[in-house]
Amino acid sequence: MAGSMKAIKLRIKSVKGTSQITRAMELVASSKLVRAKERVQKSRPYYETLYATLRDIVAGADEFSSPFLTARPVKRAAYIVIAGDRGLAGGYNANVLRLAEELIKKDSADGIDAVTLPIGKKALEFFDKRGRQIYSRAFSQAEALRVGGCFSMAKDMCGAYLKGEIDRLTLCYTHFDSMLSQSPRFVELLPLTLDAEQGAHSRGQLYDTDARSLFAAIVPEYVGGILYGALCESVVSEQGARRAAMEAAGKNAQEMIEQLNLKYNRARQGAITQEITEIVAGAES
Amino acid sequence: MKSFRLEIVTPDGQFYSGDAEYLSLRTISGEVGIMAGHTDYLNALGMGEARVTINGETRRAACIGGMVSVADGRVTVVATTFEWADMIDLERAKNAEQRAREALGAANADKAEQKLNEARLKRALVRQSVAK
Repeated sequence: MAGSMKAIKLRIKSVKGTSQITRAMELVASSKLVRAKERVQKSRPYYETLYATLRDIVAGADEFSSPFLTARPVKRAAYIVIAGDRGLAGGYNANVLRLAEELIKKDSADGIDAVTLPIGKKALEFFDKRGRQIYSRAFSQAEALRVGGCFSMAKDMCGAYLKGEIDRLTLCYTHFDSMLSQSPRFVELLPLTLDAEQGAHSRGQLYDTDARSLFAAIVPEYVGGILYGALCESVVSEQGARRAAMEAAGKNAQEMIEQLNLKYNRARQGAITQEITEIVAGAES
Repeated sequence: MKSFRLEIVTPDGQFYSGDAEYLSLRTISGEVGIMAGHTDYLNALGMGEARVTINGETRRAACIGGMVSVADGRVTVVATTFEWADMIDLERAKNAEQRAREALGAANADKAEQKLNEARLKRALVRQSVAK
């Protein structure tokens, strides 16, 4: 009995240690979440304006004014996939990666070549392991990615699109619905498939530059802006998911400790009872 | 002077929203000045100095990348970077210039890295010229 008591005590100690770690991680995620949420709220007007402006332009322009507007047969599709750098965030990484993998599988069933551009260490590892083509390994750190990085990536991808290296560009990210729920989403960036019907401007606009070079300058900005917005959303989602996962883990640890305590006390009681019985039996004889 | 509605947004948030009398910007096709009653207009922004006149007072700013549009008399500037001259940290811009020059001199970086550094250098130079 004494042996099992010691084992239970050790077990309680280890569970307590784990719960301290999850608690610390929860606190870190909460404080990061607050900052990330601020960033999302600040960046929202930017890409909403960006989107609205571009939609108006697309509504005003005809389809042939830029290759960005013309859909062509897709031979090679590119996927930008935003995941996290670290695990222990519930289903955050798994969900968005599964979504991307499904899209890629569907493409390869249609005979479309897929190339991935992973953002975040987990995404890079995931596609590496599956032997997918990787366009660039430069963005393996999601947390280190800033506005400048997003824009230069967007410029690269738009260049590749114009050169015909890729025929479609899709972005997979995680949308932050609320503190409790984050959902993986994808959006097709190129060719531009904006809802032109809603655009307000069908009348002529004054351009200094011809439409072609104007689009060539604006579209990368647009893609970069959307990318940055999606990155902000994803970072918030990651922290939210991690916070929730760690909270659940902490609760489970508490439950386990309670059960183990009960077991420990029973074992202790059992041992005492046995000792008394032994003493009494000894005295009687 | 007649004024128009001006909105400036950047990835760091809504930068300015209010009335202005005059706006001048560096676009990809050159300097452009906008006053109230401008016809619908659209252009992409280059890198350079922007001047905004609000209530008779002209403020200078560093404005890099993005686009400007005029629609129904409303002017929208969607910029990657927009900083008033007095907000610019000159010391930081100088350091950034030095770092970018060093990185460019190292020459062992790949092409993408090289391009990033060139852009960094340009941004640092624009900031410095506006701040002075």
